[in-house]
Amino acid sequence: MRARTTSLYAVAAAAVLGLAACSGAAVGAGTGGGSATSEAGTWQQVESRAKGQTVSLWMWGGDPKGNAYVDDVLAPAAAAAGVTLRRVPIADTKDALTRVLAEKQDGRTDGDVDLVWVNGDNFASGRQADAWACGWADDLPNAQFLSPNDPLVKSDFGTDVAGCESPWHKAQFSLVYDSARVSSPPTTLAGVLDWATAHPGRFTYPAPPDFTGSVFVRQVLYSVSGGYANVPAQYDQAAYDRLTPALYSRLADLAPSLWRQGRTYPRDSVALDKLFADGEVDLTMTYGPATLPDLVADGTFPATTRVLTLDEGTVGNASFLAIPSTSGHVDAAKVVANLALSPQQQVAKADPKTWGQFTVLDPALLPSAQRTAFDALPSSPVVPAYDVLSRNANPELAAAWVPAIDDGWRRAVLGAAS
Amino acid sequence: MNARRAALGQVVAAVPLAVWFAMPLVPIVLWAVAARWSWPAALPQRWGLTGWREAGAAGLPSAMARSTLLGLAVACLATPLGAMAGRALGWRLTRHSGAASLVLLAPIAIPPFAVATGLDTLVLRARLPGSLAVVLVLSVLALPYTTYILRAAYTATDPDLELQARMLGAAPRYVLRSVTIPVLRPALVTAAAMAFLVGWSDYVVTLVLGGGRLVTAPMLLASSASGTGNEPLVAAISVASILPLLAVVAGGVLVRRGRQGRRPAAARCRHEW
Repeated sequence: MRARTTSLYAVAAAAVLGLAACSGAAVGAGTGGGSATSEAGTWQQVESRAKGQTVSLWMWGGDPKGNAYVDDVLAPAAAAAGVTLRRVPIADTKDALTRVLAEKQDGRTDGDVDLVWVNGDNFASGRQADAWACGWADDLPNAQFLSPNDPLVKSDFGTDVAGCESPWHKAQFSLVYDSARVSSPPTTLAGVLDWATAHPGRFTYPAPPDFTGSVFVRQVLYSVSGGYANVPAQYDQAAYDRLTPALYSRLADLAPSLWRQGRTYPRDSVALDKLFADGEVDLTMTYGPATLPDLVADGTFPATTRVLTLDEGTVGNASFLAIPSTSGHVDAAKVVANLALSPQQQVAKADPKTWGQFTVLDPALLPSAQRTAFDALPSSPVVPAYDVLSRNANPELAAAWVPAIDDGWRRAVLGAAS
Repeated sequence: MNARRAALGQVVAAVPLAVWFAMPLVPIVLWAVAARWSWPAALPQRWGLTGWREAGAAGLPSAMARSTLLGLAVACLATPLGAMAGRALGWRLTRHSGAASLVLLAPIAIPPFAVATGLDTLVLRARLPGSLAVVLVLSVLALPYTTYILRAAYTATDPDLELQARMLGAAPRYVLRSVTIPVLRPALVTAAAMAFLVGWSDYVVTLVLGGGRLVTAPMLLASSASGTGNEPLVAAISVASILPLLAVVAGGVLVRRGRQGRRPAAARCRHEW
């Protein structure tokens, strides 16, 4: 009884404080000049126009936890804002772009794709084709929690984001090993390649252009070039000709020590994960280390699975929600993107039990209650916290580098082996 | 003695064939009821219905209902069209049967992805509703199968059969209903089943032309299979996807049995000739 009275007092006090805060904010907005008020006004208009609309979110559907997060956490929150969120599961983000480009060619403005989970190459091709609605992402109210100095949310594989997509989560390329089989794990990428030479048949990587295999090759490029600072982010032929011979000769030299003597490579990261799960190789690699605790918990990966952090850091990137220029529900799509960026949704999504995706928000910019919520997230023995993983994070190369390096790999490394 | 040796030979041939066909299904069926199955165990370490729960959460029942409707719509369109084309080709009612056969084969020679992306703009320009476009395009993709099955059936059927019935005074519609269709029934059932499977198993046309409005079982299967550690889910969807195939085969067997019990008038006539 006493406890209840106390809590009632607490609620009343909180309500009073809340009111005070609100009126303070109102005063602040009132005196803060016209632009803030008009922007808030515009956002309110966006919200009211969004009511009753349905948003089709096209997203890669290979992660049941991600699907469940959207269906069970994000969609109900959208419903509370009067927006119906429909998830379209796809096997490849290119399928969404294919559809958008066809709609674009026809000059559609009532298209069937309202939001796409995208980054990198697909985003860059979409920008080239003018397939995205731009200049909206910075105006989302929750964009205030993004650090203005964070290169990951400003540039997507070297392509200026330009408000055409709103950040959703961060990823960190990570090497993964079985600590029961790798007794003294290397601490640099050069060390990993040496380890592979010393342990024939126990290491391989997915063949580029697989997304993960491709980033591994870029990581080796950084390593043989003496660090990412020595590789210009924007593609140019001269830099390619100067830097890649060392890369390809290193990988060609490595090939005989790889799984099946490097005569063949796993088709994609799913295939490499399978080799790791079956104990055929001792290391795997992933862009999404946050999914590892779950793979260990369900027995896909051994309990002794660990992330291998590298002294020189690894490539990090962010993925985004983009609105196609053909979407007929731009307002509702913005409401969903804003919701997805809210501290509440970001912390729920970061919980490994829900999905385990790293937040794009800057903790320093968050109200203290929400910062505490992020600090309270459970830690895992398998994966270190994001600030450890992302130490010395390397930037992605511009999207134009990627096909050039992948093609060169096929000629110089795969071609040389056969 | 000779007959026994022949029977033995059949068994010797049939057993490896059956094993060869069933092998890929064994791990799928096991995965569908496994909760944990890690290397190098020969059998799952823990049994459970994780995959089915996840499939339910992913919306498998409604996706299967949509796939069934799609398959039926494609079968309803492609089977009669295939019968018409098969009749023209099988009974040589056209002089350009070679060219016609080539054109009819084209849809399966061209990869479905190219067909889908090529037709996408056209379909959008025509302002066709996505689901209708999917049915139309998949029917074109199913047409080669239905045409070739029914062409073979028409080739094996004497054209004079219809003529005889007409001379006996039967109206064209009566001839179709009581003579031609009963004779062609097994081929019609096979053709319809093939057309159904084209609609049932398609991914790219349904997604790209349908604009994502028609979330079918193959879409759930393809998107789940593109991730790591989804074996129970993928297996559950795969096993569920085999069910209509089994239903179609069982249906075919029942139809054949029914036919044996009650032979159509035309078939009886033919035997008396």
